[in-house]
Amino acid sequence: MTRKFKIGIFDDEVKFISTIRSLQEEKLKIFDVFMPYPVHEVFHLLKRKSHLPTAAYFFGLFGILATLGFLYFASVINWPVVYGGKPFNSFPSFIVVTIVVTILTVTIGSLALFSARSKLFPGRDNTIFDLRATDDKFLIVVDTDLEDISIAGRVGNIMEEQGAIEVIDKEFEKVET
Amino acid sequence: MKEQVTVSRNFKIITLLLIAIGAATIILGLITDHQTTWSNYLLVNYYFLSVAMGGAFFFVIQSISQSGWSSAFQRVSEAMMSYIPFAALFFLLIWFGVNDLYHWSHKGNMALDPVVLHKSAFLNVPFFFARMVLYFLLWIVFVRKLRQISLKGDLTDPADTSGIMFLFGKTELYSKIFIFILAITFSFSAIDWIMSVDVKWYSTIFALKNLVAAFLHGVSILTLIVFILYKRGYFPFLNEYHLHDFARYIFMFCIIWGYFWFAQFMIIWYGNIPEETVYFNVRWHDGWKVLFYLEIGLNWFVPFMVLLPVKTSRNMTIITIVIIFLIIGQYIDLFVQVIPGTTGILKFGWISAGIFLGYAGLFSLVVATTLSKANLLPINHPYLDESLNHKF
Repeated sequence: MTRKFKIGIFDDEVKFISTIRSLQEEKLKIFDVFMPYPVHEVFHLLKRKSHLPTAAYFFGLFGILATLGFLYFASVINWPVVYGGKPFNSFPSFIVVTIVVTILTVTIGSLALFSARSKLFPGRDNTIFDLRATDDKFLIVVDTDLEDISIAGRVGNIMEEQGAIEVIDKEFEKVET
Repeated sequence: MKEQVTVSRNFKIITLLLIAIGAATIILGLITDHQTTWSNYLLVNYYFLSVAMGGAFFFVIQSISQSGWSSAFQRVSEAMMSYIPFAALFFLLIWFGVNDLYHWSHKGNMALDPVVLHKSAFLNVPFFFARMVLYFLLWIVFVRKLRQISLKGDLTDPADTSGIMFLFGKTELYSKIFIFILAITFSFSAIDWIMSVDVKWYSTIFALKNLVAAFLHGVSILTLIVFILYKRGYFPFLNEYHLHDFARYIFMFCIIWGYFWFAQFMIIWYGNIPEETVYFNVRWHDGWKVLFYLEIGLNWFVPFMVLLPVKTSRNMTIITIVIIFLIIGQYIDLFVQVIPGTTGILKFGWISAGIFLGYAGLFSLVVATTLSKANLLPINHPYLDESLNHKF
């Protein structure tokens, strides 16, 4: 089964955002947007919520506790060695290692979580709505394959009114986003 | 929107009263206990100088990075910079107390110590004050120049775009030169005035740590002044995004400060060389140990933990509380650096309190009068509109 999409291409951030606003005022559902750089306002407009920072915080907490725990275990319990007259639990010297390992834990953890959540993995097939999405253009994709036939026309009108440099219709066999 | 700050009569009376308390404390203190008085004098003097330098740094770094969000608060940082000439006057008065503060200035046995003797080419009274004059001259020249350019911007015709952009570029150019001078001279001044109190001890990261401490506390005082003005109805456009940016400034600096503090401590602790550990040995015993932990707790742990979530970074009350902690934290930081080397007595008495109040009064009065002398908003700043409608 093919799905039909209306794709608006913009070269201006302001026009792009105002189009999203007008589409939402008309209660038209946006399927996806593409930007050359992250725009905070779009994130708020599309009412997206991300728990990635919270997850990153807990990865960090885990990193700190795990590293300090391991260092304590290694240098106090399992194999105590006196270095330069320092106590076995020489806490200040553990901190540098802890900071570095914590950063690594947060980075790898967030990357893995983000990839898992957005189903990114090597060899994944991705639908490319328009090649310019990877360039400096802003894209708005609206699913027009709904019961209401008038949607396609209304979406196209709004996009053109707001100053899209191009509005195109495309059909896709299988959509993976 | 109120365009210009007015200094109320009550404010003037209160600040003048505080200055009178400070002056009386210094005079009485010099009669009763001159060493304590001079060490507190140095401490508080340096405290407010570093706050003023923090204001200067804020101005300079925002001009260099061409930040839009902060341009409306430019005048506050200018007002803070204007305290530097007063600090210069008070620092030069240290001439009379140099024997109470610095062991290297003694003519007696201390000067015959080979370690002190070795340093005497750099640390001697005439050169010490020559350097002091040089630092202050450089700072005052640049601060005056930046202020002049900023005031000139207000008088320019708003339609004269090229004129405004010329002044904007000029501010940036002077800022670029000043930031190098500021970094080098302020590092040297921290070594001269604070580190040489413990004349035999040295640390290579000390200057950098004090530089960052000045920026951290300068920016937090700047934020506090903006909040006070907001409560009095001056910055009606101040929104949560401005608050978040201020909070991030404080947050970022507290991390750098904590990093440097820890780097200095950890290397000395781990290296365990007697001539270095002697510094921390004093600060590790008796009541000093409480201050030692309070220092890192107030300056790093509290701001870091509190300002980590987005919600607290956008709350004015919470940021104000953090700033109050930082004000105390900076005092403790300098107290731990200065007092053990001079009197060595852990005591916060009437002399310390009186001198601090006096300087706080003077600083507030100078900042308020400078603010009242010009428009609160730099009306012709190219980024003013962006600052008024700041959002991210």
